[in-house]
Amino acid sequence: MNNRNKKNKVLTIAYLFPTALILLVFIIAPIIYTFYLSFFNWNLIAPTKDFVGLENYLSIFTDPVNRKIILNTVFYILLLLVLNFLVPYFISIIVKFFISKMQTAYKIIFFIPSLFSLVVGAMLFSWIMNPVSGPVAFFMRNLGLTLPNWTNSGAMAVVVICLITNWKVFGYNFVLLLTGLGSVPQNIIDATKMDSIPKWRMIWDIVFPLNKSIAFYVLILTIVQGLQYVFTPISVITQGGPYYGSSNALYHTYLNAFVLYKTGNASALAIVTFVIFLVLLYLEIKFVEGRTSRYE
Amino acid sequence: MKFLTLFKRAVGVVVLMMVAVLFAGCSSGKAASKKVVHISYWHVNAQTQGGASVDALVKKFNKTHKYIKVTAKYNPNMYQGLMQNLQSAQASGKVPDVVQVGWAYMNYFADNFKYLTPTDAQSKFDGSKTFISKNFTTRTLSFAKDSKGKLVGLPYSLSTPVLYYNKTMLDKYGIKASSLSTWEGVSAAAKKIKEASGNYGLYIQEPADTWAQQALQLSNGAKIKENGKAAFASAAGVKAYQFYQDMVVKDKTALHTPWAQGVDDFVNGKVAIAYTTVAQASHIKQSANFDVEAITSPHFKGHKATVPVGGSMLAITAQSTEKQKAAWTFEKYLYKNSSLVTWSKGTGYLPPTQSALSSKEFKSYLSENPMLKPAASQIKTAVAWTSFPKNGLQAEQAMIDARDKILSGSNVQETLKSTQEKINEQQK
Repeated sequence: MNNRNKKNKVLTIAYLFPTALILLVFIIAPIIYTFYLSFFNWNLIAPTKDFVGLENYLSIFTDPVNRKIILNTVFYILLLLVLNFLVPYFISIIVKFFISKMQTAYKIIFFIPSLFSLVVGAMLFSWIMNPVSGPVAFFMRNLGLTLPNWTNSGAMAVVVICLITNWKVFGYNFVLLLTGLGSVPQNIIDATKMDSIPKWRMIWDIVFPLNKSIAFYVLILTIVQGLQYVFTPISVITQGGPYYGSSNALYHTYLNAFVLYKTGNASALAIVTFVIFLVLLYLEIKFVEGRTSRYE
Repeated sequence: MKFLTLFKRAVGVVVLMMVAVLFAGCSSGKAASKKVVHISYWHVNAQTQGGASVDALVKKFNKTHKYIKVTAKYNPNMYQGLMQNLQSAQASGKVPDVVQVGWAYMNYFADNFKYLTPTDAQSKFDGSKTFISKNFTTRTLSFAKDSKGKLVGLPYSLSTPVLYYNKTMLDKYGIKASSLSTWEGVSAAAKKIKEASGNYGLYIQEPADTWAQQALQLSNGAKIKENGKAAFASAAGVKAYQFYQDMVVKDKTALHTPWAQGVDDFVNGKVAIAYTTVAQASHIKQSANFDVEAITSPHFKGHKATVPVGGSMLAITAQSTEKQKAAWTFEKYLYKNSSLVTWSKGTGYLPPTQSALSSKEFKSYLSENPMLKPAASQIKTAVAWTSFPKNGLQAEQAMIDARDKILSGSNVQETLKSTQEKINEQQK
């Protein structure tokens, strides 16, 4: 028995080793190096790095631009949560429990945009939503309305950029959630029907708790991946403008690192973003996962 | 069992050796006496932006030069992308041999990379040592000099901003093109168009640099940099920006929008006049379904029109002498009149040498494309694109931020002043 245990241990390590190595080389080591760089001023290639201590971190919290970026990031997260998580969840519930026909058709239709490159999408929307000469502006003018010049307002630019990522992400999240709903055991749903329990109570008390793990996964995906996805339309359409109004932590990190070559500031911002994500994940796991285990 | 493995290994080794001999045989066939030098050329020209002419030029060079083999590599995301790739190349120790460097990156390049100046290349490899002075004017060479006055590379592609106008629209409202030679005239025309049609009168390009805005300030007698310090918040500089802000914010006769959208609005006939680079000429010509013409940059009344030059230079980053020599030979080929005209036709940039500009081939190309004429005539009076010696990229970003703020309505004088102070602070 003891021998077998030992063998199991060796095998476990052997099986985990390749993945662990890849994680170490491509994820963990760069994070540690980024942390190291965040204490220096360096332009990526100069032979010397100037040690500046915590200055880069202080600038994140004192520089008004950085504060604006952090607020924008929060705004992006809230908006993405609504657009890419709550709305698809709502619609997948409607499709699953209230519309019985054409489920596959909806799946396919909603899924198609997620096959397109986001660069293509961003360029397309930049043309479609052009407030002066785009088709949307044209139709609105015919209806006696005007499309505001959204590229000149940070808040409106953020909304449009979120809508573009929504176009891309919606279908994927929708299919994931719908699949999750499909795995709720049919006999339980049938039982609620027998007991003539209202549908909304069945959804609230049975479907939501049972579908929690998928929903949790999509939620995390929305936050973490969403902030990465908005990078592309920001880069293609606004470059973070007007005056950083549509920039977020990720784009600003990129701007500092690879446009201005201020690796120190960029690394500090990346580390702060990393910590924020860690906290978010911890909160999600604590609250959402905690509740799941109570149901089990 | 053991014997079998040994045998297998032996067979493997023999096969490997045979393959090696075979390949070695391939490369040593013709050039047994002289070795072929391989060099790589990094450019930013996508297939739609002259990439095809880069390929054609390289192909022709390889055909006519037996002992040099050039490989062209396209770098996405323009000069910024190329600079990023060059950094990783430098880090890995495998640098390209000839690279295109955008003007905005000149000081950064000169400070951080190892390169061979054209002057050194000429004295090292040429017999006559007159190539540079014979082909380039002092003015053109000044574009490629860093803050210490050292020639970093040779000017390769030149561009200047020109004023495009929708002739159909201007004719309809009785506006003469000759009135657009001053910014005051442009503003009056824009007002007339706004009142009559509701369309915008003017769009000035807003990419991730302030090139066109600098032209605006320079053409009011302002200086961007004086004695190594930022000086654009002078009275003349403020006045030029105030004029621009009034058109955008107060009169709403000028459009404030990202570059791609602004040009789209112009070619869709929603903006009457566009002030943007000559490199947009072929795109505008192809996309507009109205009569479009171009004239030289306007100036403010009482001042001369002055434009900063855009584009790039060629720099030699090759490290070994034989590669440097090959790179220099390749550069000299690229500066031949026929090569430059091919290049110009493919990209819309203007040729950097005097003899190419006045060559018959280029002149006939100009008469087919009259929109390039104003840009070519401006080259003679253009100035170098302002490049700050320290933290130049951050200085450019500060100027972009100032533009963003001003066009959103913040106080012109205060914004320019604080930006100028910020840049000068970074110069210390």
